[in-house]
Amino acid sequence: MKKKLRIYKPFISAGMQEVSTYRINWIFFMIGNVMGCFVSYFIWKAVFLSGDNPIMNGFTMPQMVVYIFLMFLTSTMISSGGTYDIGEEIRDGSIAMRIIKPISYNSTFLFQELGSKFMTVCLLIVPLVFGVEIVRYAFTGSVQFEILNFLLYILSCVFAYLINFFFNICFGFIAFVIKYLWGANMMKNCIVGFLSGTVIPLSFLPGTLEKICLLLPFASLNYTPVMIYMGIYHGAALLYYIGLQLFWVLAFWGLSKLLWSVSMKHLSVQGG
Amino acid sequence: MKQLKRMFRMHRIFVSQEIKRMMEYKGDFVVGIIGFLFAQANNMLFLWLIFSQVPSLMGWSLEEVVFIYGFSLIPKGLDHLFFDNLWAVGHWLIQKGDFDKYLTRPVNTLFHVTVEKLQIDALGELIMGISLICITLPSIDVEWSVLKVVLMLAVIPFATLIYTGIKIITAAIAFWTKKSGNIIYMFYMVNDFAKYPVKIYNSFVKNTITYIIPFAFTAYYPAEYILTGANPLFNIGVSMLIALVLMFLGVIVWNRGIKAYESAGS
Repeated sequence: MKKKLRIYKPFISAGMQEVSTYRINWIFFMIGNVMGCFVSYFIWKAVFLSGDNPIMNGFTMPQMVVYIFLMFLTSTMISSGGTYDIGEEIRDGSIAMRIIKPISYNSTFLFQELGSKFMTVCLLIVPLVFGVEIVRYAFTGSVQFEILNFLLYILSCVFAYLINFFFNICFGFIAFVIKYLWGANMMKNCIVGFLSGTVIPLSFLPGTLEKICLLLPFASLNYTPVMIYMGIYHGAALLYYIGLQLFWVLAFWGLSKLLWSVSMKHLSVQGG
Repeated sequence: MKQLKRMFRMHRIFVSQEIKRMMEYKGDFVVGIIGFLFAQANNMLFLWLIFSQVPSLMGWSLEEVVFIYGFSLIPKGLDHLFFDNLWAVGHWLIQKGDFDKYLTRPVNTLFHVTVEKLQIDALGELIMGISLICITLPSIDVEWSVLKVVLMLAVIPFATLIYTGIKIITAAIAFWTKKSGNIIYMFYMVNDFAKYPVKIYNSFVKNTITYIIPFAFTAYYPAEYILTGANPLFNIGVSMLIALVLMFLGVIVWNRGIKAYESAGS
């Protein structure tokens, strides 16, 4: 274990340096991204003002605020760029440099990303969680933050990240076969975005559809962590959904191994 | 006049080159368009699900909100189709030293950069925008007149130039800083606010998208005129004025940037 950590440490610090070198750029990028949250915030505000019902499908306005901003935080934390990188590396042949090294191919990606992820989380989690809690306090007049839910949320995010990481690796291999990486990636993001509740909480979907979505791996990505943070999943439900996350981690890990060994038999690098 | 003719001819040559290149990768091109259609479909699902909860959004019906949304996609799509290469200026052309090539050619740099690429994925936005307008218009009670149709068509190129102007100004920052892709992105993302009725925002957002980063004039204000016939002078006239001012500023900043530009070497 210790030896492993020593091998992958350079990848972690390379990832961290990547973010800190371009931090100003990174801040502009995040401001651009968070804009979408404010658009949804105002739309939901108008929706709650236009309807006479203060609770919609289990959501009150302050809960919706928490939902919107935590959804953004969660998506940023669990995002994984594996799809694009693998395709690009196969295309330009630089994958050869990774294969000849006596370390696991997936792990080099994983650790490099964990480095940059660590920086992202540090810079984002404090202002967002703090902001959300201030809004909740303003609406309800009492502190709603629960440390246990927060810790479970972090744990759930780790599982969600792993699901996303291995899922994207699988998708990266498939996208390489079908070749249209950019467009296919966009379609994937849209479908995953909808099924994971980024567009609208899954409880707004019609009954059967909601049940199906909750079983699919995508709900395990964003929806489960956010529901845990909000304290909606507890007791048996909490265990069930975290168990489901664990199941999907293992499923996609296995599938990525399988695809890896299949595609290595077919890989041929021209030049590079 | 002669120069304008030359520019048009060159534009045609560049575009036909682009189309030849695209035909080589037909699959990419189709999948790209479908990708953008998907992105818009997500937002439509969102609106549809929201309107299953409430009959109207601050007085606007589902059809009207979708119409405004659809209208917003047309200038956005046109800018995306014709002027997408400005992103490359901010992201990598200057940083990697590839910008030098434009300086060695006997054409205006801004013109050359913009005509070099035709971003066909934008058809996804345009197709969606036109379809949404066609689907919603029959069920909205709009009083049509010749003037309205003329103004509606006339405002579209100007609304497009609001996008382009903002992109030119922010892309030109890269002449000083080498990289401004994420600054373009930050400003560009403000357009998300313009797709919905301005009434739903607080005064800070409303003033920002009206007076500071005037994306509201690319979609909501013109669409409001079309739907209600109110304030043509402000909704249409000011849109056109802002487009001209932004383009003027854009050209000035760009030319200053070219003077300040030092190659990053290669």
